[in-house]
Amino acid sequence: MIDRLNNALTLFFSLMVEAMPFLLLGVLFSSILLLFVDERKLIAAIPRNPILSALAGSLIGFLFPVCECGNVPVARRLLIQGAPNAMAVGFLLAAPTVNPIVFWATWVAFRDQPEIVFLRIGFSLLIATVVAVIFSTQADLRPLMQPAIAHSMPSPKLQPSVALESTLLQSGTFILGSGSQPLRLDAGMTAAMSNPALSQPLSERWQLMLDNVINEMRELGGVLILGAAIAALVQVLIPREAVLSLGQGQLTSILAMMLLAWIVSICSTVDSFFALSFASTFTSGALLAFLVFGPMVDLKNIGLLLTIFRGRAIFYLFALAAQMTLLLTLLVNLYLS
Amino acid sequence: MTAPSRPISRRPQPAQQWFVWLDIAAVLAWGVLLLKYWLTGKVNILLHPDYVWLAILAGIFLLGIGLLKVGQITTRSRKRQLPALQHLSLFPKGWSATLLLTVALIGLVFTPRPFASQVALERGVTDTLAMTRSQPQAFRSNTRPEDRSIIDWVRTLNVYPEPNAYSGQQANVDGFVIHLPELPENYLMISRFVITCCAADVYPVGLPVKLRQNRSAYPADRWFQVEGQMITEELNNQRQLVILANKLTAIPEPENPYDY
Repeated sequence: MIDRLNNALTLFFSLMVEAMPFLLLGVLFSSILLLFVDERKLIAAIPRNPILSALAGSLIGFLFPVCECGNVPVARRLLIQGAPNAMAVGFLLAAPTVNPIVFWATWVAFRDQPEIVFLRIGFSLLIATVVAVIFSTQADLRPLMQPAIAHSMPSPKLQPSVALESTLLQSGTFILGSGSQPLRLDAGMTAAMSNPALSQPLSERWQLMLDNVINEMRELGGVLILGAAIAALVQVLIPREAVLSLGQGQLTSILAMMLLAWIVSICSTVDSFFALSFASTFTSGALLAFLVFGPMVDLKNIGLLLTIFRGRAIFYLFALAAQMTLLLTLLVNLYLS
Repeated sequence: MTAPSRPISRRPQPAQQWFVWLDIAAVLAWGVLLLKYWLTGKVNILLHPDYVWLAILAGIFLLGIGLLKVGQITTRSRKRQLPALQHLSLFPKGWSATLLLTVALIGLVFTPRPFASQVALERGVTDTLAMTRSQPQAFRSNTRPEDRSIIDWVRTLNVYPEPNAYSGQQANVDGFVIHLPELPENYLMISRFVITCCAADVYPVGLPVKLRQNRSAYPADRWFQVEGQMITEELNNQRQLVILANKLTAIPEPENPYDY
């Protein structure tokens, strides 16, 4: 028993020590993004064609390397600032995976199986783009959004640039005060959603960045600890035969890993190390399913997504992403390995 | 767009202050832990040597931001407060920092130990690299047989598995002892764990050693240098390459127990 505890702790700290640098790198980039980049300039450069903007949104992760906890606030700001729906949804689903830090971390973990690294990026890009295009067929996403966000979004009938600038046609709640201008009640929301830190002087931004790095490191580090503890305990406590019988089934292994990805909610910059601890017992398709599906929708993420979407929209995202992940990784199990 | 409103309070509340110090303690403790693993050499048990520099940098970075934050609040608290950034919390306030701090303190007390034969038996020690496992990274066929390590032998066998091809070659390998229950009493496995990333993915490889006496003289988990000659034998209904031992010398456990 002492030996098992020893092994579990060694395994746990090994995962933590390997993952911590990548977690910090992700946190650092997400903080830089929050404090130094103005997304509005980016939105202006995005093509309006749904497929192109879905693809562009899915690829923006290469400029904005954030994991799923950092990308939800960014996607929210993108939507409010008038980004095409396809771009925002593509970004939401792909950015946590399709970015250089996650690519590097996955490479470190799976350099012996490079197909996992490339298929992870490819599948994430494919699923994100398809789901984003599907969402873009809904001309007005606002019924699917949380009311506070829907209010702040520009109406789809207007050109987004007009909607951003126009003072004549604004949706929202107004009161007529004593002044000559009506006062917009939800203006604070828009202000909070546009990047608040960009209005700060540089010296204060550095201070804010320090705060943000520590805050995100604390929150995501906590999730990392839980994930690493689960990985270590599964390896040490559950009999290997039980794990193997589940992990070697073509379909059961994928479903098990998708469920695990959903529950464990580990950050995408470090989830490849978690998956690595299952590499000897689970099929490649199952590992891929974990790595592709986890960053898109998981238990922790739902809380964050609820700050943008209504439950119905999250269910659509979840169902589409889950079905496509299952289908693609099952093909990997059946034909590639 | 308008600037976010300043908080009404210009000085942090005492409870707020307490949470900030908890954050700082957690960040500093992790910085110290990462650097401790490096300075004591224990990082070799946890990571592949290629990635040790990442852990060192992370430790320095954590110490750096922890100290910067100390500087910030000791000078800032007398001035005005910074605006609070929009921040999404996953745990109730204080939980995450407490968890991080507690785990770092456990890490500072606990000394990681390399895995032993029990883990190897559970993971299944073999002389072949399984399908889910690494392909050979380097193959040196011109190596002299007596210079091959255990993993070199296993890689060589993986490329050309016929045991007879190696019969009569000299063997000189070191590793730890596993007593496989399915092997006769005068056989043991001389083994090494192979690591590609971190301790989570280590897997054992080994070669059977035929002794001239009962294996009880060579307890499990002890480290030995085995010198001998390669022979082919049938073990568990499988023709296998076996080291016929001439000499076993006890060696101390190496600081870096893994093979690559």
